[in-house]
Amino acid sequence: MTTLLTDLITLSAAGLLIATFGVVVRRSFVGWVSAYRYQSVVLAASTAVVGYSTGFWDIYAAALLTLVVKAEVIPRLLVRVTSGVEGGLKMEANPYVSIRLSVLVSALLVALSYAMVGQILASAKLDALAQAYLPVSVSLFFIGLFAMVSRRTALNQVVGLLIIENGLFLFTTALTRGVSLIIEVGILADALVGVVISAALLTRMSRTFDTMDTGSLEKLKDD
Amino acid sequence: MVMWGLYVDSVLGALPSGSAALMVTVLLTPAAAAAFVAVTRRKRLAEAATLISALLVVLQVAGLAAGVVAGTRVSGFGEFLSLDALGALVMIPIAGVGFVAALYSVNYMGRQYERGIVDDRHIVRYYAGFNVFILTMMVVPLANNTGLMWVAIEATTLISVFLIMLYTTEGAIEAAWKYLIVATVGLSLALFGIILFSYAYSTAAPTSSGSAMNWTGMAADARMLDPAIVKVAFVFVLVGLGTKAGLAPMHTWLPDAHGEAPSPVSALLSGVLLNCAIYGVLRFNIIASGTLGPSFPSELMIGLGLLSMGIAAASVYFAKDMKRMLAYSSVEHMGIISLAVGFGGFVGLFAALFHIINHATAKPLMFFASGTVSQRFGTKTMSEIRGVIKVMPFTGALLLVGGLAIVGMPPFNIFASEFLALTSGFAGGQFMAASAMILLLVLVFAGFIRQLVPMVFGSPSSDRSAPLGSTERKDDMGMLAVLPMVILATIVVVLGFYMPQPLQTLIRDAVHVIQGVPSS
Repeated sequence: MTTLLTDLITLSAAGLLIATFGVVVRRSFVGWVSAYRYQSVVLAASTAVVGYSTGFWDIYAAALLTLVVKAEVIPRLLVRVTSGVEGGLKMEANPYVSIRLSVLVSALLVALSYAMVGQILASAKLDALAQAYLPVSVSLFFIGLFAMVSRRTALNQVVGLLIIENGLFLFTTALTRGVSLIIEVGILADALVGVVISAALLTRMSRTFDTMDTGSLEKLKDD
Repeated sequence: MVMWGLYVDSVLGALPSGSAALMVTVLLTPAAAAAFVAVTRRKRLAEAATLISALLVVLQVAGLAAGVVAGTRVSGFGEFLSLDALGALVMIPIAGVGFVAALYSVNYMGRQYERGIVDDRHIVRYYAGFNVFILTMMVVPLANNTGLMWVAIEATTLISVFLIMLYTTEGAIEAAWKYLIVATVGLSLALFGIILFSYAYSTAAPTSSGSAMNWTGMAADARMLDPAIVKVAFVFVLVGLGTKAGLAPMHTWLPDAHGEAPSPVSALLSGVLLNCAIYGVLRFNIIASGTLGPSFPSELMIGLGLLSMGIAAASVYFAKDMKRMLAYSSVEHMGIISLAVGFGGFVGLFAALFHIINHATAKPLMFFASGTVSQRFGTKTMSEIRGVIKVMPFTGALLLVGGLAIVGMPPFNIFASEFLALTSGFAGGQFMAASAMILLLVLVFAGFIRQLVPMVFGSPSSDRSAPLGSTERKDDMGMLAVLPMVILATIVVVLGFYMPQPLQTLIRDAVHVIQGVPSS
C-alpha cells in the first residue's frame, strides 16, 4: 500500500469525524442538515477511496449514489418538510444536554469506539482500510444514538438516525469490499424511503400536536 | 436474426426454471396488485385485486412448499434466493394469514369507510400498502443473501409504519413514530452483526467465489469462522432482530404499534411479522452454534425468553386496552419460542417451530375478533366491553376459542407446542428455566382469563348506545367478518390433536436444517 493511499484513508476518516462533530455543535435544524450534507460528501469521498484501494468499480457507483441521495435528495427533502411547519427552520434545539456537554460526551464516545474496536477485534487481522474506518463508523453510530436521546425535537431523531445510517454504510463498505453493491443500494433505498415516511409523519405530528417535541408523545401507556 | 435468437436463449437460460420461477412470481403477484391498486384508485377494484393476489400467493406458496416437502431445496439467481424447509415454514403463515387478513379487511375497512373514519384516499393507500407489506415479508424467508434479508426486514418496518399512520389520531402517530425509531435503531445493530458475520466468513474462506453474505456458505463453513468475531456478531444480531421480534426488554414499541394499527394489520404484525424477525435470529443462531457450540447462543435465548415471558405476564395483568393485552401476549409467545429454541434438542426445536405456526393462527384470530368487537362496542377498553357472546354469538364463541387457545388450554394447538417445549426443557436438564416457564404461563393465564371471561359472558349494559344501533340486537357484523375467524379457529382446533403428514415432514426437515443434519 502506498503512503499516498494510507494518507488518503486516514484523512477521509478524520474528515468524517470532524463532519460528525459539525452536527453535534449546531443549534438549528438548517445547521444540522448542512452538517449532515458535509458528512455525506466526505462519506462519498471515503467510499471512493475504498474503491480506489480495492479496485472494485462498483464501489465507485456506491459512492456516486451516496453523493446524489445523501448529499442532495435527503437534505432537500428534510428542508422542504420543515419549511411547511410553522417556524420550522428556526427551531431551537432545547436539548436535554447542553451543546458544550454534548461535544465532551461525543469526544468520549469516539475514544470509547477506538477502545472497543481494539478490544473486540484484537484477534482479527484487520487491514489498513478496516483499521481506519471501523472505529470511525462505530463512533458515528454512538454519536447518532447520543444525538437522538440528548435532544427533544423529533427532527433530531431523524438526523440521529441518518448519522447512524452513515456509520452503517461506512462499516459495510469497509468490511465487505464491494461484494455487496446490491445490498448497499438496498440500504440506501431503505434510508430514502425511511426519510420520506418520517417526513410525512413529522408533518402530521406538527399538525396534530402543534409541536415536534417528543416529550408530547407519551399518551400510550397502561396505567 | 441469429444474434437475436442467441440473445433470447441467453436470457431464457439466465432465468430460473420450475420452482425457482415460482419464487419470482410469488413476489411479483403482490407487487402487481399494489401497482394495480395505486393506478386504478377505486375501492372495489382495490379489494378485488388484493383478494385475488392473496389467493394466488397462497396457491404459489403451496406449490413451493410442496416442492420443499418433497425434499428439494429451491434456489435461484445464483443462490441469491433460496427456500428450504425452515423458510417454507415461515412463508406458509405469511401467505395464509395474508389471505384471511385480506378477506377480513374488506369488511373491517369497509365499515371504517362507512363510518367516515377513513376516506377513499386512505383505502387506496391501505390496500397498496397491504400488498407491499406481504411482498416485503415474503422476501425475508426467500433471501439466502443475509444482506438482502436485512433490507427486506427494514422494508417491512417502513411499510408497516406507513400502514399504522393510516389513521391520523394522536395515538397512531405516536405509535408509528416510536416504532419507526426503535425498530430502525434496533435493525441498525442487527446489520452491524450481519456484516461482522460476513466479514468473519470472508476472512475465513477467502477463496469462496460466491457472495460472502450468503447464508448457506456461512452455515456450511461455520466451524472455520473466528469465534471472537462471531460471538460479538451474534449478540448484535440477537439484540437487533430481537427488537423487531418484540423480545423484552427491547419490546417497548410493540404494544403501541400493535394496539394502534388497523386490526387486520395488527393481525399481520403479530401473527407473521414477528416470525420473520425470529426467523432471522434462528438463521444466525445456526451459524453461531456451529462456530461457538450450542451453549452460548442457547443461554442467551433462554435468558431473553424468560425475561420476555416475565414482562409480558406483568403487562397482561395490568393492561386495560384489549389490543394492547393481545400485543403483550405476543411478547410472551415470542419469549416461549426463544425459550424452546434455547432448550434445543429435536423436541425443543420442533416445539419452537410448531409454536410459530400455532401463534400465527391463534393471534390473528384474536385480533380479528377484537377488531369486530371494538367496532361493535365502539371502544377497545376491556372494562367497557361486556357480554360479547350475547350480543354477537359467533364472534363471542370465536373470541372464547381464541382466548383459551392463546393462554394454552387443551385441547387447542398452543397447548400442544407449549407442552412439547416444557418436555424438552425438563428432558434437557433445564429444571429452573422450565419451572419458571410453568409459573409464568400460569400468571399469564390468570391475567388473561380475568379479562376474557367478563368480556365474553358479562351482561351487556343496555344504556350504552353502540355506533350501530342498540347492543340488544344480535349482530355479528356480517359474514365476511366471521368467515376469516372460522377458518383460523378451525386450524387452531384441528392442530390441537392432529398434525397433517406434510406439516410434520416440513417441521422435521426444518429442525434438521437447524441441527445441520443433511435432509433425507
